[in-house]
Amino acid sequence: MSESQSNQKHTLILMPSGRRGKIPAGTTLLDAADSLGVEIESICGGRQTCMKCLVKIEVGEFDKHGIRSAEEHVTPTTEEERRLLEESGHGDLRLACVAHVQGDLLVSVPEESRGQKQMIRKSATDRVIEVKPTVRQVYIEVERAELGKHRGDWGRVQDALREQWELADLSIDIQVLRKLQSKLREGKWTLTVTLWDDRRVIDVQPGYTEGAYGLAVDVGSTTIACYLCDLRTGELLATEAMMNPQVSYGEDLMSRISYAANRPDGLEKMHDAVIDSINKLTSQATRAAGIARSSIYEIVLVGNTTMTHILLGISPEEIGHSPFALANRSAMDFNARDLGLRLNPAANAHILPAQAGHVGADNVGVLLAEEPYLEQKIILTIDVGTNAEIVLSSPEWMYSASSPTGPAFEGGQITSGMRAAPGAIERVRINPQTKEPRFRVIGEQRWSDEWKLDPDADPDQQPHHLAAGICGSGIIEVVSELFLAGLLTPDGRFNTDDETDRLQWESKGKKGAYILATAEQSSSGKPILITQEDVRNIQLAKGALYAGAKLLMMRSGVEQVDQITLAGAFGSYIDPKHAMVLGLIPDCDLEHVHAVGNAAGDGARIALLNREKRALAQDISTRVRYIETAVDQDFQEEFVMAMHIPHQRDLFPHLEPILSRMPDIEPPRRERRHRRATS
Amino acid sequence: MEEEINIKEMGDDEILELMQEDLYDGLADEIVEEVEELLAREMTPYDVLTRGLVAGMEIVGDDFRDGILFVPEVLMAAKAMKAGMGVLRPLLVETGAPKIGTVVIGTVKGDIHDIGKNLVSMMLEGAGFDVFDLGINTDADAYLAAIEEHNPDILGMSALLTTTMPYMRTVIDALKDKGIRNDIVVLVGGAPLNDAFAEDIEADAYCRDASVAVETAKKFMAIRKGEGS
Repeated sequence: MSESQSNQKHTLILMPSGRRGKIPAGTTLLDAADSLGVEIESICGGRQTCMKCLVKIEVGEFDKHGIRSAEEHVTPTTEEERRLLEESGHGDLRLACVAHVQGDLLVSVPEESRGQKQMIRKSATDRVIEVKPTVRQVYIEVERAELGKHRGDWGRVQDALREQWELADLSIDIQVLRKLQSKLREGKWTLTVTLWDDRRVIDVQPGYTEGAYGLAVDVGSTTIACYLCDLRTGELLATEAMMNPQVSYGEDLMSRISYAANRPDGLEKMHDAVIDSINKLTSQATRAAGIARSSIYEIVLVGNTTMTHILLGISPEEIGHSPFALANRSAMDFNARDLGLRLNPAANAHILPAQAGHVGADNVGVLLAEEPYLEQKIILTIDVGTNAEIVLSSPEWMYSASSPTGPAFEGGQITSGMRAAPGAIERVRINPQTKEPRFRVIGEQRWSDEWKLDPDADPDQQPHHLAAGICGSGIIEVVSELFLAGLLTPDGRFNTDDETDRLQWESKGKKGAYILATAEQSSSGKPILITQEDVRNIQLAKGALYAGAKLLMMRSGVEQVDQITLAGAFGSYIDPKHAMVLGLIPDCDLEHVHAVGNAAGDGARIALLNREKRALAQDISTRVRYIETAVDQDFQEEFVMAMHIPHQRDLFPHLEPILSRMPDIEPPRRERRHRRATS
Repeated sequence: MEEEINIKEMGDDEILELMQEDLYDGLADEIVEEVEELLAREMTPYDVLTRGLVAGMEIVGDDFRDGILFVPEVLMAAKAMKAGMGVLRPLLVETGAPKIGTVVIGTVKGDIHDIGKNLVSMMLEGAGFDVFDLGINTDADAYLAAIEEHNPDILGMSALLTTTMPYMRTVIDALKDKGIRNDIVVLVGGAPLNDAFAEDIEADAYCRDASVAVETAKKFMAIRKGEGS
């Protein structure tokens, strides 16, 4: 640790983890990050040789965090450091081992600098996709130019395309026209022509070559996932993902909209951040697959409406308030280069259509991938995130809604909440007799009851990660396990009649908290508690989601769904039984509750590989009937009813075997009085 | 624990205590029964309101603030309170009982979320306030018109979205332009707000939840009444 120069302390906030703390002036960023529990990679240990601890000093007013961060809030770049940074092409970054804190700071720790790599488990599932891309390559032999024939080389190429491939009414990109003549001669009047949608020539290469690739990108508010595909074979060549750097400007969509609306350069910053990320992911993917950037001819993008507005450089201000008007709901095609994307210079960018103000192209992607309307079943498709998009479908109709579940399922507003990263509690079981918990954390195979915490124990028996917090899937499990063990009453209160030592009480013994992990099991050395407020926040989040689903069932006259599909990265880790016990999802045969992973990304991939699916997407986007839950007269009633665990009124016949084994809880006073009143 | 209770055999104070329990449990029919019994014993409507219903709702509010009770339970309690008020209100007007206060409340323009605001309305009614709820998507003109019509002590504004909360400033500026800002207490609330924001837009206070809203409204009413006397 470096010595502090004075007693002064400054605020340091690290992105994307959001960890913050007061740091004594003079501490290196490397040590400061370590003290806040954020591990930055460093192999040389601060000797300015390994170049692993690269960080970015964010500059500006960050109202959300209440600080102003500036380059001069760290010590100036040393000569040696500047030389190293410039040599490695990182002129805009700093070495965390060299920069000392001397003012308030917001610092981004890039993916590659993180000691603990963020776990982003987004991989494309294998779906059968018929390959009919919009991009194709054709080989032509062109008539030589001769004195006296004034056709022009592009005219001769058009003739060849018409005669040999029956392709007419073509246009040519200016970038292609510029090199047409030299390529034609280089190939001795033979060319491989790359066409987009059989109407625009987007590349010419001399002679015969093959190799046309495309990218499907899901721009999520938290994660950006990118799939590189061979447009000829449909093969998935590489999958890359990273955190969305816009997180620094606001965790949730509304704060990003505010940032864009209230800052003169807000939109530009966020636009640049996302484009920059996609360009980085493209580099990683092309490197992994061993292909050239210039052979990527198309990119298909999906995302929620705020993400697509920012991506296109359109202010999202209008979707920030009622009536939530989109700039354009339909599918769009642009020159990728106009968006700042570095692919083939003439590559096309396609954005899938949206459904309504807050149901975007990502949800259309989910429907394209899942095609629930093809099944002779009533299917509820839920994409869980900070906003849950819900679609109820039958072969005849589709209804959709967006429910503001808030950040609770991503660990926000939960005392010990965290994102899914090593050390996060993801599974929980509570013994209904002893009320003792056991849990499993990410990065550790063993359940906590098999951990040997004694420092003298065999190192193999000791856990690699202690519990650092709890992530979404763990939060769902712990609340439903607490309920099943009789520690929580259906109205969400800790059961005052239970005398287990695992419950702590305050507020005159009325307000409880459950000790999930002991001080010894926790990485901070403090016990991990599930508090009454945590339970309340989960009740709000799950109530909003259930009520949204219920409203769609009411509007379509459905009483029971046949299948529930959980989409999104988070959906894959939710245990269906616990989700249902909590009352997050309506009753359904547990065998028919499926997780499908990042279906939005799969949808983008399908649209990339099959042009006909783009027309279908347009059709879907207009066929789905969107219900604005917030103004629906029944929403409040349904929301309130759905706050109970699992529900105040609705029954769960498929949970009967589980619920009937529950310990008896004294009924609340209300019911006792009713019995008195009726007796 | 089943117990036979006959309120006819109980003393006034016992019934008042029972009312607090029944409000806590959201038993509307029982509350009406108890209000009617106390009125039959010639307790004044104002005493039934303040010593029975308002006192009971205070306990509900405290436990809601502490996370012991939650939204569904509070709504049940507020409904029971409302049932009791149904009996009391005409009598309060008739007897010219002192008013606790008048509130105009609404969700601001551009925002269509009203569950939290509805809870605040019900809790304020539970505390004995006359509440005029303008609903959602309320613009400055609608607030001003309602203020003109009802002459409230308090204006309440709610917003759930970061993007719509700045509109509160527009409304406060409109109050200033009309020269009535100092005649009215402005309370603001909603998930993305905080004290600093309320201070910045020159509202009188930010209220974290429905129970804080009631406490704050009462506090400002005490100050206003102090000024008036």
